[in-house]
Amino acid sequence: MDNADDKRDRALKAALECRTELLAYARSLLGHYATADDVVQEAMLVVVKKYDQFQEGTSMLAWCRSIVRIEVMRAKQRRQRERTLADRLLDDAIDAAFDEFQTARRHDEVESWREALRCCLERVPERGQGVLRARFADELSYQQIGERIGMTIEAVRKALFRLKKQVRSCVETSLREVQ
Amino acid sequence: MNDKNHWDEFIDRHLRGELNESEKEGLAELLDSNADARQDFVQHAQWDTEFAEALRESSQSSHDANVLAVQQTADGQWASKPSVLRPMLAIAAVVIMALSAGLIYQLASPQTGTPETDVATAPRASDMSIARITGLSGSLIWTGDRGQIVRELKVGEELAGGTIEGMAPDSWFELEFNDGSTVMISGTSMLTFADLGQKELRLREGTFSANVMPQPNGKPMLIHTPSTLLKILGTQFDVKANLASTMLNVTEGKVRMKRLSDGREVDVPAKHRVIAEGSGELSLQSLPESVDHWNSQLHLKPGSYGKWLPAMQGRAAVQKAIPLVPPDNPNATLHLLAISVSRHNDPPVVVRPDSRFVVRGRLDKPARVYFGIAVSDSAGEFAGKFRGDFAEKQPMSKPDENGEFEVVFRIRDFTLDPCVRDREQDLAVRPDDLILGSVWVFTHTGSPSGLEVSEVELLPPE
Repeated sequence: MDNADDKRDRALKAALECRTELLAYARSLLGHYATADDVVQEAMLVVVKKYDQFQEGTSMLAWCRSIVRIEVMRAKQRRQRERTLADRLLDDAIDAAFDEFQTARRHDEVESWREALRCCLERVPERGQGVLRARFADELSYQQIGERIGMTIEAVRKALFRLKKQVRSCVETSLREVQ
Repeated sequence: MNDKNHWDEFIDRHLRGELNESEKEGLAELLDSNADARQDFVQHAQWDTEFAEALRESSQSSHDANVLAVQQTADGQWASKPSVLRPMLAIAAVVIMALSAGLIYQLASPQTGTPETDVATAPRASDMSIARITGLSGSLIWTGDRGQIVRELKVGEELAGGTIEGMAPDSWFELEFNDGSTVMISGTSMLTFADLGQKELRLREGTFSANVMPQPNGKPMLIHTPSTLLKILGTQFDVKANLASTMLNVTEGKVRMKRLSDGREVDVPAKHRVIAEGSGELSLQSLPESVDHWNSQLHLKPGSYGKWLPAMQGRAAVQKAIPLVPPDNPNATLHLLAISVSRHNDPPVVVRPDSRFVVRGRLDKPARVYFGIAVSDSAGEFAGKFRGDFAEKQPMSKPDENGEFEVVFRIRDFTLDPCVRDREQDLAVRPDDLILGSVWVFTHTGSPSGLEVSEVELLPPE
C-alpha cells in the first residue's frame, strides 16, 4: 500500500470516529436529525475526495467540522429557506461554541460510554422507552407524544426530563464502576 | 419546572427546530455572553445526539426505516447499525468509483480531471433498476441507496432505489416502475423509493401523485409520510404531506390510510379525501366540486417560495421574491416567488379558457413581470406548466408613485413552459379546464427588482 492509500485510510478512519460529534454539530445548526445525518454523509464524501488536504497532526474534528459547516449551508440553501437575522446570529454563536468546547474523544472511551448507555436504556420501563423513542427516534412533538401515549403535554415534558436525568445518572454510575 | 429543566428543554427543542424567532435570538444572545452556557450547550447537543443514535438503533428493528435502506447484507451486521452503514456505503461506493475512474482516465484521457462538484455522478444501476425516469424538469437531485449523487438526470434513465429531491418550486419528476405504475413529485419535495418485491415509498415532504397498477396479493404499495402509512392495491390518488399533516385525495380505487400517532385506520374510497393531522377524527369527505375563482389570500398563509411578510400597519401581507439560479443557466439570477394553490379544505380550482390572472404587488423599479402556472388533471397527475407572459415581448410593469403595479395574464395567451417542452407529447396542449396547482412570478433584471406580490387572483370568464 502506498503512502497516499495509507493517508486516505487514516483520514477516513479518524473522520468516521468523529461522526457522532459531527452529527451533534450539524443538528445544532439545522434543528433536524435526518437532514443533519444527510449532511454528515455528504461531508464524509468530501473527506474521501479531499483527504490529502488534511494536515496530519492537526485536529481531524475541527477539519471535518469546517466541511460540515459548508454542507450545512448548502443544505439550508437547498431547503430554499431564507436565513433570518436570528438564524445567522444563532449559527455564528453555535459555531463559536463548538469551536471552543467540542473535543474529540478516545475511541475506547466512546465505546464504553455507548455500551453503558445501551444498558441503561434497556433498564428504562417500557412506557418510558416509548416516550424516549417518540421524542428521540420519531422526533415527535410533546403534543404528538401525549396523543400517542395518552399523557398531557406537561406530563410528557416532566417524563422526558426525568427519564433523561435517570439514564444519564445511570451511565455515569456504570462508568465509575468500570473504572 | 426549575431553570435547569427549562434550559434542558430549550436545547432539546432547538435541536428539533422548534424554537421561534425570539427564542432563537435569546439563545444566540445567551451563547454569545456566557461561556458556561456555551459549554453546556455543546455537551447537551452531544449527549442528545448520542441518545438519539442509541434509541434509533434500538428501534431500527422495525421495518419502517430499514425498508428503504440497502438490505442485501447476508449476515445482518450492517442492518443493526444503519447510522454507520450509510456513510460507510457511500464512502465505499466513492472509493470504488474513484479507483475505477482513475484507471479509466489513465487508459483513455490522461489530462482529464475529476469534476469538482459531484463526487459520484453515474447512476450505475441498470442491473438492478426498478424504475425508469419518464419526465422531469427543474432542479432535482437523486441520491442512490449506495451513496451515488446525481444532479444531471435524464428522461429514460434507469434507477435503482434511492431518494429524489425536488429543489425548487418548478421542479417535477415522474418515475415509472417496472410494472407500469407511475409516481410523480412536484415542487420542493423529497421522495424515497424502493422495490424489493413490494414497493415502498417515503414522502418526507411535498406533493406526490401516483397511478398504481394492480399490486401482487399481500404486497400493496406502501407509502409512508411523516404522519401516516398508506396501503395501495391499485388506484389513482394524490398526497400532500408535511411534518404535521397528510392530505390524501383518492380519484379511483381505494387507499387505506393509517395514522401513525394513534394507529387509527380509514379506507378512503374513490372521489373522497381525508386529512390526517395530529389529533381529531380521520373523517372522510367527498371531493369537493370545483370552482373557477381563486385568490392567493396571502394575509392568511405564506406562499411556497420566497419570503412571506405578514400584514403590517398600513401594508398588506406580501410574498417577496428571492434569488434563484436556474440549474440549466447558472449565469442568470431570477428573483422568484411561488404560491401553492392549497387544496387542504378547498375545492379544486379549475382554469377556464377565458379566465385571467391578475397579479398585484410592488416593484422597486420598472421590470418585466413573468408569470407561470402548474396544472394537473382531475386524477392529480401532472399535466403541464404554462407561461402567461410573452417572454422578451412582455411589456414592462411600471410601479406607480407608491411602488405598486398590476398586471393581467389571459389564459388564452398561455403557452407551454419551455422547461417542459421536451415532454410536450405527454402534456396538455393548453391549461384549459385543468386544475391549478401553483403559480409563480419572477423578474429577470440582472439585479434585485424588489418584486413583492400582495395578491394573485384567478378571475372566471366574464
